[in-house]
Amino acid sequence: MRQLFAPGADALLRLALLTFAACLAALPVVGAGLVRSSYVTGVGVAPAQPVPFSHKHHAGELKIDCRYCHTTVETQATAGLPPTQTCMTCHSQIWSGSDMLEPVRASYAKDQPLVWTRLNKLPGYVYYNHAVHVTNGIGCSTCHGSVTDMQLTYRANAFEMSFCLDCHRNPEKYVRPKDQILNMTWSPPANQATLGPDLVRQYHIRGGERLTECGICHR
Amino acid sequence: MSGTVTSLPARAGLLGKGEDFASIGRAVTGAPARTRSRAWWIAFAGACGLLGVFAVTLAWLLINGVGIWHNNNPVVWALDIVAYDWWIGIACGALLTSATLRLTGAAWRSGLDRIAETTAILAAAAAALYPIIHLGRPWVFYWTLPYPNTLALWPQFRSPLVWDAVDIISFLGVCLSLWYVGLLPDFATLRDRAFEAALTESDERGRTRRLTLLKAQAYGILALGWRGASTHWERWLMATRTLSALALVLVVSLQTGASVMLSGTVLPGWHDTLLPVSFLAASLLAGVGVTAALSVLVRRALHLDALITERHVALMARLMLGLGLASAYCYATEIFSSLLHGDAYDRAVLVRRLSGSHAWAFWIIVVLALMPVQLFWFSGFRRSGLVVALVGVAAAIGSFGDHFMLLIVTLSHDFLPSSAHPYSIGAWGLATLAGTIGLFLALLLLALRTLPMVSIAETRRFAESHPDGRPSGERAPTLAETDSARLWGVSAEFDDSGALAAAIEALKQRDFGARVETYGPVPMRRAAETLGRPAGILPLLALGAALGGGIAFMAMCLYATGFDYVFDVGGRPRFSWQAFLVPSVSFGTLCGGLTALLALLFQNRLPRLNHPAFAIPGFSRASEDRFFLALEAAGPRFDPARIEQALARLPQGRPLMVRRVPL
Repeated sequence: MRQLFAPGADALLRLALLTFAACLAALPVVGAGLVRSSYVTGVGVAPAQPVPFSHKHHAGELKIDCRYCHTTVETQATAGLPPTQTCMTCHSQIWSGSDMLEPVRASYAKDQPLVWTRLNKLPGYVYYNHAVHVTNGIGCSTCHGSVTDMQLTYRANAFEMSFCLDCHRNPEKYVRPKDQILNMTWSPPANQATLGPDLVRQYHIRGGERLTECGICHR
Repeated sequence: MSGTVTSLPARAGLLGKGEDFASIGRAVTGAPARTRSRAWWIAFAGACGLLGVFAVTLAWLLINGVGIWHNNNPVVWALDIVAYDWWIGIACGALLTSATLRLTGAAWRSGLDRIAETTAILAAAAAALYPIIHLGRPWVFYWTLPYPNTLALWPQFRSPLVWDAVDIISFLGVCLSLWYVGLLPDFATLRDRAFEAALTESDERGRTRRLTLLKAQAYGILALGWRGASTHWERWLMATRTLSALALVLVVSLQTGASVMLSGTVLPGWHDTLLPVSFLAASLLAGVGVTAALSVLVRRALHLDALITERHVALMARLMLGLGLASAYCYATEIFSSLLHGDAYDRAVLVRRLSGSHAWAFWIIVVLALMPVQLFWFSGFRRSGLVVALVGVAAAIGSFGDHFMLLIVTLSHDFLPSSAHPYSIGAWGLATLAGTIGLFLALLLLALRTLPMVSIAETRRFAESHPDGRPSGERAPTLAETDSARLWGVSAEFDDSGALAAAIEALKQRDFGARVETYGPVPMRRAAETLGRPAGILPLLALGAALGGGIAFMAMCLYATGFDYVFDVGGRPRFSWQAFLVPSVSFGTLCGGLTALLALLFQNRLPRLNHPAFAIPGFSRASEDRFFLALEAAGPRFDPARIEQALARLPQGRPLMVRRVPL
């Protein structure tokens, strides 16, 4: 009887099977890598904005307080985005002829707000309150990164559920004293292990169990 | 009885008179041609129509959500779980039948096990859709599986949703493995027949049609180079038995798991300790019913009366009668125990089952599942294919009533009269159910047309090879061809496995510098014993993998819920290991099953599409009705002339032909 398959067929079939197995194994690895990549999460990517606003210049070098623009961060769910009028408090006086600031002046003149590209979005089913976090020991930089170092603002963290849960499960690792909230370069001090639980008590943060209830974020 | 090649007890009536290896092969491989009829096309069009209905209902489901099945509070589980349990019950019953018959060595499984396994796979495929489509957002079905996600969450291992996912994947894994391993030698038969057809074509017309060759090659790839070597067969026997044993464990775990799932709640009517047993009995009845109906259909449609005989049909009928009685006993015991020591809620459920708004479900069980099987007390009905098929289908419908009654009657009333809500399946629910039936039928019709629906290898195991004393017709290589070429070995062709075994026994003591192997269409127990090749460690490997997989899954659940992701669910304990048993057992059997499959292939050095043995003249009949002895050159003492001499001087059972096989 002649052979139905040429001698090379085995190698081809085995190669095909191996390739299939490798693809099958690679699928979850590639998928897991992809959803964590900055291509999907947008971490570290500064999108184009109507005005190339620099947090580094304003908040870092000029040391303008965060709350000068984000006025409701300590009192409301959202931190608040400044109206054009806030920009114009200074820019009616300085750089008033700058080409770069033309959209700001136009916005002011037409009484139409600037349309910024939003960086940090949470899904509609997540309830998040800035005031609760900021007044209870969680600093700006914990979520937003060192904003004062950002020439153009980019997303510092992917706000995936694991990011939130990491802190909600172990708040004592992240809480700071009240006077450090706006400190953009804060990192946990050497004695955070003893300081943290004290602060958690001080802020009346009710342990990890309460903080990981589904309803704490999903209402 | 020299042609009988197996220790299977051949029983009268399980095979038509005068059937031999060749005729069985012809009957089964030729059968698909018979489905190219108008009836097949009409049935297929009908099934595709139902599939169309399914597509529409799925679209409507995705737009509107599971409310289209009239799910409400408190009937949160409705058609989705009822239909899932029904289908998986049928699948479990069918698989359990096949596995049990194989493990007990029942000879009459021969005509039925392929049909039972096919039923199991198709029913499981239909069942698998429900847990996915009832998720609400089916495209994120993988959230039910444990994987390193960005949510920092584990799936809730105490939830039956996870059990269902693991169960279904394991069931399909084990069942498909068993089915495919069983198909391997049959695919080899199909391959050799298709190749013969291609060779005939090339002899007659001078060339081969591309399609004919492609068909042969497609079957060749599916057969993975199966050659029917005695070692292959020994491991094949071991692998099918191992997979059957795993399937047995899986099915029992899955069915009892489904009933334990109910008792996890506090609802009345779900707390009988008999429930796991009655689940098993009812699912077996439904599974055997559908298998019996399909056997009759296959027998009629493919004209396989000689392979699925009246005796097979009668045995299925007896089995249904026994299971029907067992099921009736379970229902009666449930009713009596409720009356004797049930509380008020329990008795209320009983009253609602028998006379409430869904009482039709209970009476469907009685009228369609429990009563018709009583016909089989009479041998006339047992022998009638039509009656057996109708009773089988009725039993399956009755089983739907069982799952409906169990879930809906209890759910629609809990402890508070105010939360009672009526429930009916509704048009969309019925359409969804019809759609999955369409899927089952469409796949079945395709299988009828493309696959051997009766196991050729199993049926042949108690047939005879009908020696005809003529060597196979292929031209022998000329002396010039074999003289100059390097030899792979010397082959001898026999038309009887007894002669083959006698030849090996005679040659065993002598050293020819050759490796001895035999090839044939059925397991060659005597030859394998003489060659001293144990089936090896395949079952041990599978057992190890099953234990390892099960323990690993349990460990993962314990780590996840006990340490990494402690989550308070209604005050349940951290280490609720009982809840993790069902998916652990399922996952363990999956690991064992896949290991058995891989071990079979690795130990047999498969796939091997091109092998010197295929060059043995007439080798295509090794999957038909011939046995080949091959002495492969393996050492300096190899001398073809001496081997030929020895073969010519065999004391009994002279080979039909001895040939040198060039490498």
